[in-house]
Amino acid sequence: MKETDVRQGTLALMALKTLDVLGPLHGYGIARRIEQISGDLLTVNQGTLYPVLLRLEQEGSIASEWGSSEHHRRARFYRLTRQGRKHLQAETRSWEQTAAIITRFFAAKVEDLK
Amino acid sequence: MRVLRRLVAQLVSWATARQDEKELQAEIEEHLALQTADNIRAGLSPEEARRQAALKFGAVEAMKETYRDRRGFPSLERLIQDTRHALRRLRKAPAFTVSTVLTLALGIGATTSIFSLVHTILLKSLPVANPATLYRLGRESHCCYMDGFSQKDEWSIVSYDLYKYLRDNTKSFVELAAFQDLTPILGVRRSGGVETAQSYPGEFVSGNYFKMFGVGAYAGRVLTPSDDQPSAPPVAVISFRLWQERYGSDRSIIGTVFNLDDKPFTIVGIAPQGFFGDSLRNPSPDFFLPLNMEPYVDVEADLKLPFQHWLELIGRVQPGVNAQSIEAEMRVNLKQWLQGHWAQMSPSDRAKFPEQTLYLGPGGAGITSMRERYELWLQILMMASGFVLLVVCANIANLMLVRGLERRQQNSLSRALGAPVSRVVREPLLESILLSMFGGAVGVAIAFAATRLILQLAFPALPGQAGMPISASPSMPVLLFAFVVSLATGLIFGISPAWMAARVDPIEALRGSSRSTPRAGSFSRKSLVVLQTALSLVLLTAAGLLTSAFGRLENQDFGFEQDGRLVAVINPRLAGYQPEQLTLLYRRIIDSIENIPGVASASLSLYSPPGAGWGSGVFVDGHSLPGLRDDISSTWNRVTASYFEAVATPIVRGRGLSERDTADSRRVAVVNEAFVRKFFRDEDPIGRSFGARPTMSREFEIVGVVKDVRYFTNGLDRPTGPMYFLPAAQADYTRSAGALFLHDIVIVSKPGANISAASVLQAMASVDPNLPVISIHTLHSKWPASSRSHGSSHVSHLFLEYFPCCWLSSGSMA
Repeated sequence: MKETDVRQGTLALMALKTLDVLGPLHGYGIARRIEQISGDLLTVNQGTLYPVLLRLEQEGSIASEWGSSEHHRRARFYRLTRQGRKHLQAETRSWEQTAAIITRFFAAKVEDLK
Repeated sequence: MRVLRRLVAQLVSWATARQDEKELQAEIEEHLALQTADNIRAGLSPEEARRQAALKFGAVEAMKETYRDRRGFPSLERLIQDTRHALRRLRKAPAFTVSTVLTLALGIGATTSIFSLVHTILLKSLPVANPATLYRLGRESHCCYMDGFSQKDEWSIVSYDLYKYLRDNTKSFVELAAFQDLTPILGVRRSGGVETAQSYPGEFVSGNYFKMFGVGAYAGRVLTPSDDQPSAPPVAVISFRLWQERYGSDRSIIGTVFNLDDKPFTIVGIAPQGFFGDSLRNPSPDFFLPLNMEPYVDVEADLKLPFQHWLELIGRVQPGVNAQSIEAEMRVNLKQWLQGHWAQMSPSDRAKFPEQTLYLGPGGAGITSMRERYELWLQILMMASGFVLLVVCANIANLMLVRGLERRQQNSLSRALGAPVSRVVREPLLESILLSMFGGAVGVAIAFAATRLILQLAFPALPGQAGMPISASPSMPVLLFAFVVSLATGLIFGISPAWMAARVDPIEALRGSSRSTPRAGSFSRKSLVVLQTALSLVLLTAAGLLTSAFGRLENQDFGFEQDGRLVAVINPRLAGYQPEQLTLLYRRIIDSIENIPGVASASLSLYSPPGAGWGSGVFVDGHSLPGLRDDISSTWNRVTASYFEAVATPIVRGRGLSERDTADSRRVAVVNEAFVRKFFRDEDPIGRSFGARPTMSREFEIVGVVKDVRYFTNGLDRPTGPMYFLPAAQADYTRSAGALFLHDIVIVSKPGANISAASVLQAMASVDPNLPVISIHTLHSKWPASSRSHGSSHVSHLFLEYFPCCWLSSGSMA
């Protein structure tokens, strides 16, 4: 698995979660939330978010429509679809499982592995 | 599911690419604006705020590229770009493009045209339901009549009695149908109409014929077993073609009465469109009549004779039944039937009894006599056209290489700038495929015209009658074939330039144009030239050999004269003539035609050259009886007195037939040289007698010997077989009447005179307006029509002339 694949996968998951929590948002809003929550830990070019959003929209996890931003400019707002919510739940579960397994593995002592 | 959804979305956004591009731009602008505003709020100067926003966003163009890739089908888009580019390049070299496309079109057209014939004649099944479960009797067709109780090699045609026996005793057939091998020409007149009789081919078929094929009527109904009873009212099914062409698609024709050979038949239905019966042949039947009506139409009926074999069999088997087990079952039935007729069998038949057998073959294509006849020719032609296409490929590959050299500089520059090899290779390949596709498209049009021409030459239709049921318009498999051939052609001649493009060194671009003299391509170009020359030589040699072979065939001594002769075909039976009226009728026809200005003489015969004759055995008086297995066959023809003069066949010994040979004088015969060689060897044949049966060996006295004439029983490429000629006045019609009425009138014109068909028709009308003239043609133009093998060689000839032309045009272009 290439590094970008992992990062884009997590980026997609984070975008979905953001929309789930905060409701409809434009691209900049999503990028800022991700930045705020992850701190400087996740340094991505904000631009790379857009291809991810496109992909999610093509898959039907999110939908978009044009509206007006807080500055009364035309902006594209993304929202989570029902399918996206299901997708997010499934992904979250699988992520938690994976994380739990990895955590247990890392916590394992030498004799456990013997 | 999500993958599918994404694909649909990609398709949609691919179509709306321009709109999406604008929206993306707007979205980016908005993003940057919001970020800038936030940065200003954080205390940065407007310029710095904008700069930081841009930095944070990252490379816009790279992101756009990713976005686009994900949005649509990037490889498809690039392919379209490349195609557009290739088209532009081709447009910039119109001379090259046009000549290449034309050459390709000739090559692909020829191949496609031959393939469409191969497809219809060699590969296609009959247009009937589920042809795979049909089986036919016999491995080869042995048209058209055989008598006795033994058949050489295999039983392929049967009598009505044997058909019934096999039908009733072979359990594995769902339906076993019988039908006549020949399609006799019927005199057709709509009852109550004022028109004269027209002649159309008909066919006697068993009542379950349509049911066996799984074919329903277009309108009305098809024949049923209840129609096929001696006591049933006479009914007939008419072909869709005749109904449409002659009777204007008038549905009220169903239920009306037609006189077929002067016997009333009620039309009960119209056969479906495209149904041409049980075999591909020219002409296909226009009337389907129940077998049991044969005695009603024909005085010398074959139906009731158990030893007269004239029916082909096709049966539908239950799915999954093994053909071999049916074959075995039928063999037993055949033997049992033969034993049932032991008393009627001749000693010769009894001697051959143990080896009597039959074979069952696939019947989905019907009776495939056409296939057997043309298979070899079509294979040769297919191979020849393949060769031509290869030569065309080699020529064009050479041209493409030259073009590739011109682009070398550009290619190395592209490579130096980072173009992947696949992209550089794709350009010449795309160009080649585009060229071959254009060539293919034009080629299909050429193929259509060529196929029509071939069909017209090889199978000319008599006016008003159905021609060969082969359509020249390309069918789906043919179009597919043309497409695949074009694609393959494009790949073949595109590979070498593509290979060359792939080997371009990017460093060359840096070295400058003075160093770009090609060396790498020269070897492949040289080998191409060698290949090209070799192929061309093979083709030219083959064409030359075949042309000279055909030339010898055509210029050989046929034993009769072709020029200045017309043949008019009549059928006195259609006008209801009786045997005793014939001598007078023949006299009147000859007198009337000889009165046409410009006519030197006229003569009637059963068959005119190169038509076939009837077959019979020969028993020579004074010779011991031939062994049971000896070949004693000969063909014979019946002619009026001046026949030999009319076709200019030289009399070698004795005399020809004359007016003195009347019904009351001694029965005489004139034989050909091959007859003498076969039956007399060193003896003098003049004055000797022979007959067609052992008990009648004194029937005919030989009065003369004529030169061998190449008639078509033998085929042009085979030595002439034995023949004997009998005078018309001594015809014995008691045994078999109608079929032996003379029907060919050979008309000889005076040197330089030109006799019109109209004047012949007028002369015939003055004899009897009800006597239809079926066709009029020159003796020469009769060749392709009546001689199947010669027809095909004629066509091959045409093609072999066409191929070198193709080659020359592509060669000179190169």
